Amino acid sequence: MATTTSDLPALGADDGPDAWFEALADVARGEADRLAALGIADFRLLVEVASETDTARYGIVLDGYDVTVTHRLGPQEASSFDAVLRGETASWQELIENILANGGADIAHSLNALSIAGWPLQLSSDDPVGRDKFFRYAETLQALFDGISRVRSTRSPTTVREP
Amino acid sequence: MTANALDVGYLERLKQGQLDLGWLRGPTGEWGVHAKPSKVGLTLRDIATGSYGEVPDVATARSMAPRGSAIDPDMPDLGYTINSKAEVWSDNVMELYEEAVSRQWSATRDIPWTELPELDPDLEHAMSQLCTVLSEVEMVASDFPAKWLWRINHQFVEAKMFLCTQCMDEARHTEVFRKRALANGGGLGQAKSVVERFLALILDAESYDEGSALMHLLGEGIVLSLFRAGELIAPSPVEKRIFRLCMQDEARHVAYGTMHLRFRLNEDPSLAEDYHAYLDRGEDIISMLFSTPEVVEPTAILLAGSVEAATQMGASGSDVVRRQIIEEYFQRCEHAGLPRRHRTKLPAVLLEGTDAVGSGAGTGVPTGA
Ligand SMILES: [Fe+2]
Ligand SMILES: [Fe+2]
Repeated sequence: MATTTSDLPALGADDGPDAWFEALADVARGEADRLAALGIADFRLLVEVASETDTARYGIVLDGYDVTVTHRLGPQEASSFDAVLRGETASWQELIENILANGGADIAHSLNALSIAGWPLQLSSDDPVGRDKFFRYAETLQALFDGISRVRSTRSPTTVREP
Repeated sequence: MTANALDVGYLERLKQGQLDLGWLRGPTGEWGVHAKPSKVGLTLRDIATGSYGEVPDVATARSMAPRGSAIDPDMPDLGYTINSKAEVWSDNVMELYEEAVSRQWSATRDIPWTELPELDPDLEHAMSQLCTVLSEVEMVASDFPAKWLWRINHQFVEAKMFLCTQCMDEARHTEVFRKRALANGGGLGQAKSVVERFLALILDAESYDEGSALMHLLGEGIVLSLFRAGELIAPSPVEKRIFRLCMQDEARHVAYGTMHLRFRLNEDPSLAEDYHAYLDRGEDIISMLFSTPEVVEPTAILLAGSVEAATQMGASGSDVVRRQIIEEYFQRCEHAGLPRRHRTKLPAVLLEGTDAVGSGAGTGVPTGA
């Protein structure tokens, strides 16, 4: 459950991907009006956080005015997405740290800036129109990520830290 | 009494309360229709129901009357020249219209103009030159749809409506880059004839097919990639927001162009060679743009951070952007059903780093096999 109560724990950049995406889900719920004001959208983005041992996958779904961020997906659930945004855990952690430190991504750490050269984030899709939706909804996606600098969550950090 | 003359007798009867009511008692094809709003409201897709929802392959009328209405037998012909659906349609056109209306923004209100920092003079000059080129090219994407809009039959009104949103989008792009050039000391830079030659190719296209391929697919695809790069090279959050908001609009235009060409070729695959010929000509001029200092150097300097750094990096910095532009263009062509990697006219020097081979017939060095 999302809340803006400031005495609740803030997200930490080293909390790990499950916590990051739980925080994003909090933003999607808690700042739904702000995201909706950016306009309707239609996009299913699969986000991959790759470590040496495995890849954690999460879905970001923009559907009309609604934004939904999924929990970690199982292998069977990670299909039928328009595009995939993949990066190593360290790259995602740097992005999260930057957002938390600056109240939003700085010039060098926007989703587009980090993916344009194919490194450190890689954007891919079999369908270029699906891939281009990453640009069509760039403002919504960036606002979602920037929102984690504001969100406080009732979740317990100890239960969501990566092992 | 003809249907288009003043019916004095009717006015006399009306005075005495004798209503005609032919329109009320006569055929009402859509009576009883209840289009249901979907979750975002009542969309074009939601009302595409019954006879109104049937978009004919070939227009059955030449008037502004809505589909689904009962049309007078002596309706005048308004002279539309684009009367087949495949010439303008795309499967995503209704959704793109809704999205365009929903995601409008204001270059006056939504850009934090007061936060523009003073820049190093070379960077300010580079940004202003980039904005000059962009402000020059953007408006062709209003002019071209506007030139063809009145020729498109109203039975394909959703395509017309989408093109109207594009005219507005491009007006805003022209506006925002002009404002940026004039807002921070740089002023407007140099306008080059080679740029105008490409714009003329679009504006003077002999068919909507030709102009749309050159503009929606080739020109706007490149501009979309430039906006992506612009967000990367923005010297301050002000430019970053400008490029990001423009990028969203541009991606809609490219989504229409790609899906329109796909629809067109799906309906008539024999047109592929015509489209190749249009893009052959477009790529020839685009190649020249890639070798125009006023077009490429501002981006290279902004990317490197200074003239000195750009000099040291040579083309290596902007190579990322070039590869991105060309690779994404080929992917869109393929998706539309028009693979160009092996017959592109782009010269080898521009294809470096992509897996395209090209026909070697462009303005640059042939690649061979
Ligand atoms: Fe534009
Ligand atoms: Fe455009």
